[in-house]
Amino acid sequence: MKRFIFQLLTILTLSLTNVCATVDDALSYALEGATPYVKEGFTVREDWWGGDLAVKTQKAVVHQLFKNNQYWFWIGTESPTSKVTVHVYDSDGNLCEVEAFSKGRIAGARVIPKKTGTYYIIVEIEKSDRERTHWAMAYGFR
Amino acid sequence: MTKSLLTLAILSSTAFADDPAPKIDISKLPQQTQMVDEVVVPVPSEIFTVLDKLGKPNWTAVLRAPKGTLKSFGTEPQIALRLGTVIAEGFVAVEAEDATAVKDIGKSVLSLATALSVDKEVKRRANAIIGAADAKDWKLVRKELDGALREVKDAMKSLNSEQLSHLVSLGGWLRGTEALCDVVNKNYSKDGADLLRQQMLLSYFDGKLKVMSKDKALKHVLIPKIQAGLTGIQPLIGLSPDADISAKSVKEIGDITAGLVKAIQTK
Repeated sequence: MKRFIFQLLTILTLSLTNVCATVDDALSYALEGATPYVKEGFTVREDWWGGDLAVKTQKAVVHQLFKNNQYWFWIGTESPTSKVTVHVYDSDGNLCEVEAFSKGRIAGARVIPKKTGTYYIIVEIEKSDRERTHWAMAYGFR
Repeated sequence: MTKSLLTLAILSSTAFADDPAPKIDISKLPQQTQMVDEVVVPVPSEIFTVLDKLGKPNWTAVLRAPKGTLKSFGTEPQIALRLGTVIAEGFVAVEAEDATAVKDIGKSVLSLATALSVDKEVKRRANAIIGAADAKDWKLVRKELDGALREVKDAMKSLNSEQLSHLVSLGGWLRGTEALCDVVNKNYSKDGADLLRQQMLLSYFDGKLKVMSKDKALKHVLIPKIQAGLTGIQPLIGLSPDADISAKSVKEIGDITAGLVKAIQTK
């Protein structure tokens, strides 16, 4: 019985470590995407959002943005062969980013909000070699 | 996962394969009401970054600097709300470039965090705030205040006090909104007033308060009082997405938030 519990705990610990590692990987790539823009004066918030997604599915992050600021949203994934995209829509559902890029496991979108209000950051895993791919989002403002 | 997020099943699975869809139907998003729970609450720096661009308000007149290090009183919900107001005051002190006030606020943050058993996590930030204030590195003070807010909330979540962490955010939002109204009232501009257009955040906090009002451990006279205040603010900022927020509305929002902050900060 003791052996069984030990094995179970080992499996649980390894699983948890794996989950943390994969999300950490994703976050490190999101922050890699942010690096050039920090030099342009963007302040990166010390927080992140994320999870895991199947291929061709999306997540929405609902965000309050302020007119007169500009924002960059950066996404990273755990998988080197994945392709991720991010796009930003306003509260009327209009695509509102001024630029966006998708370079494999890293993607970004820049927004200059025309008005203060609610915006929707849409993340999609376009392709991946995994059933579910961990992703993380960071953002910056100036 | 730090934040659970809403699955967007309604969108076409290939919508973003090459070019993103130029328009999506937000009203048809599934489980739309759940999205309110998942809104990203901006850090105070985001609002103050906008205010920096709108001119040079007299922040010294807005600042309510603590006299020395604040001591905690009341039960946990009130301490959490008060901690949020104190962190928000820190941002005002930065704008006023008042090093003494920032240092007192840093020490007060630590004092209130201790009462909530999250002092260990906050100590480094509090010291960094004090150090940066000594060096008059205002940008760094802002960053450390944002960080302190996050670490307080994360520490509370790890102590299974997630509801209290929402109260810290709410306290900060109330004092920040009061200060914002004060600034905009003194020199009204549509752009300044537009910063108050935060319907989604109001709904988010209202939802959290509704959950808390059913929790006996969080029972506190301030909870229904703040709920009533938020209900009063809602029509003042949510009439129409394109309608300007008038000077009269700004004043009313300022009065409501000032009353709530005073209640939070009173024994």
